[in-house]
Amino acid sequence: MTRMLGRRGAMQAAAGAGVAALAGRGALAADVTLAVWTGYPELVPWYQAMAAEYGKAKGTKVTILSTSLREHEQKLAAAVPTGTGPDIFDVGQILGITFIEAGLVKPNPPAVEALLKGGAYRASSVGQFNTDGKTYGVPMLFSTPAMFWNKAFFKEAGIDGPPKTFQDKMVAAKKLTKFDATGKMTRSGMSLRLSGQGSGIAEKFRFILEPAGGTLIVPNGKGKFHQGYDNEAGRNALKYYVDAVQTDKVDDPKVQHDAAAFVAGNTAMLMREAWVIGEIKEKNPTLDYGVAPIPAWGTGPHKTLLQHNGLWVNAKSKNLDVAYDFQVFLCSKEASVKLTQMSGWVAARSDVDWSPLLKEIPQYKEFVSPDAGVQFYPEPVMAAWNEIESRLADKLPGAYIDPNMLDPAKLAAFIKAAAAQTDQILKQNDLYGL
Amino acid sequence: MLFCYVALLPVVALFFYVRIIPIGFSFLLSFYKWNLISPRRPFVGWDNYLGLMEDENFLLALKNTTIYSFSTVALATMIALPLAVFLSRKSRLSAFYQTVYFLPVITPMVPVAIAWKWIYDYNYGILNYGLSLVGLPSVPWLTDPDIALWALVIMGVWKVLGYNMVLFLVGIRNIPAEYLEAASIDGASDWQRFWRISFPLLRPILLYVIVTSTINAFNVFTQVYVMTLGSQSAPGQAVRMLVFDIYTNGFQFFRMGYASAEAVILTLIVLGLTVIQFSLARDDNVKAG
Repeated sequence: MTRMLGRRGAMQAAAGAGVAALAGRGALAADVTLAVWTGYPELVPWYQAMAAEYGKAKGTKVTILSTSLREHEQKLAAAVPTGTGPDIFDVGQILGITFIEAGLVKPNPPAVEALLKGGAYRASSVGQFNTDGKTYGVPMLFSTPAMFWNKAFFKEAGIDGPPKTFQDKMVAAKKLTKFDATGKMTRSGMSLRLSGQGSGIAEKFRFILEPAGGTLIVPNGKGKFHQGYDNEAGRNALKYYVDAVQTDKVDDPKVQHDAAAFVAGNTAMLMREAWVIGEIKEKNPTLDYGVAPIPAWGTGPHKTLLQHNGLWVNAKSKNLDVAYDFQVFLCSKEASVKLTQMSGWVAARSDVDWSPLLKEIPQYKEFVSPDAGVQFYPEPVMAAWNEIESRLADKLPGAYIDPNMLDPAKLAAFIKAAAAQTDQILKQNDLYGL
Repeated sequence: MLFCYVALLPVVALFFYVRIIPIGFSFLLSFYKWNLISPRRPFVGWDNYLGLMEDENFLLALKNTTIYSFSTVALATMIALPLAVFLSRKSRLSAFYQTVYFLPVITPMVPVAIAWKWIYDYNYGILNYGLSLVGLPSVPWLTDPDIALWALVIMGVWKVLGYNMVLFLVGIRNIPAEYLEAASIDGASDWQRFWRISFPLLRPILLYVIVTSTINAFNVFTQVYVMTLGSQSAPGQAVRMLVFDIYTNGFQFFRMGYASAEAVILTLIVLGLTVIQFSLARDDNVKAG
């Protein structure tokens, strides 16, 4: 009897504790203030709108801190390990993997895992958020480039439509480039990334290298890598840049570049991500432009980069349950549509109905539902990736304008040296293997 | 006496906390491999230092920083001194010009660097517009790797000129008037009075200006960061400087141990140059004595 009462008492106590815990959790959710840090200031209005909706439903308050991407990464690197970081943060996988390796992001709980593996995302996206058989974080948005082309300039030059190959692109660019009476370029035929510093220069070099059949690093299938561009593809990609600047003169480091040049009508073609659509909408809404796939190299396939930006819950968060719940909320279908509408970035979910957006801005098509023939090459998930790209980026601007690069032997020597540096970085990080 | 030491204690403690301990920690860290995030921090001995000796980016940064520092310090000193002599004469516009030359010193570096980026713009910059007015061709100030470093030197000189000038001005005004009057009575020319009296008496100020300018020049960062940001900017390698390289290794590649080793080398370089400058000044004083 005593034993029976004891068991019953224990069961009652457990049930009571469970209810109390649930009640407590509900009360806690309402009392909780979640801190969210973002490196994308343009996402702040979206975060605020989502926080307001979530707060209305759950009573949770959300504070949002936004800084530039570089500052954001530095803040996270200093704050998360010391327990002073946010509950949720967005960051690319290159830094995400470092947090995972340091145990500062835990494997996803069942609810988040179910979202990730429930068919809402492309297999390539799910694969990118998988480390050693476990999933970490959720893809929030992805960044993939396509080719913006100025329809008015093409019409003026008598060119029918966007070029399908890089070779055609150069021919078109020559017709589209304009010079003044003194021979100074006033409009580039294509805007390449020719100057500055940082990994972006190498990333844009890959826009041509990958379709040409090369790649910066090749996995050996055993968790190690080696360079993959000291070959014909690497030399062709560099020659394309050198020709564009020095031989065919369709671009010049001295003229305006990037989205600013395209928006202002100072270039005819630009390979960039979806956010440029937002720039055009805001700064030059009457611009007559189209968006086409990144050209192919000769008869090869259309290839384009796929970079994910993830949403991560800090393992040191004091409000883990609420943080995971808000993470799932931020990745809902409705939130995904709003993310793209409000920021210009493309949400990573693939099961979203984009038709209202495409009806309003058809140029989004290449970004949200590209042609089936377009192949994606993902960004390798490794902590050393930023250094690999940045170190190559250090060398490229000088090569693009160096007259020595017109000599095939010197161009080949440059590529060989750059590729050797890539292997060296892999060795330093214990990631090298043939 | 005890009260003085006790009263100084909070300041000394604060100095230790914000200066000495971080410097010591950086020195220790330079013997480790650490990515800032991971709890693992293996000891690697002198590897970081040995790696630096073969690192072409570090060697390039060292070369660029040396060129930048010596050029900026030499030019800013050589221009500031005659300017100070000129403005030390009592004139109605003297105060106005002093203010004009000092304005860049108190203007924050980031907006200044952005403004200079526009000034240097190949197509729309005011500098090239000025050149076009006198029939000279436009210069790709930032995008030409051979010119970009000199564009930074020009800006660096403009930024520190006023500071050096004010220091020289204070020194000149503190030279006892009797010395100069006596020399005038003896028939010394303006140049002789400057070279034989003012200049030797200005040597402590000159030393201070050179030492502080050298330290500041070796620590150049903000303008490099701003001027290499974006697609319409200076090629990173052309203007790669030591602090920028430290920043890149530490906060972009998260190689904190390696960046710390670079910081230690930078400290030693600046310390060495300061010691050399002080010993040269002391030799001069001994000879003068």
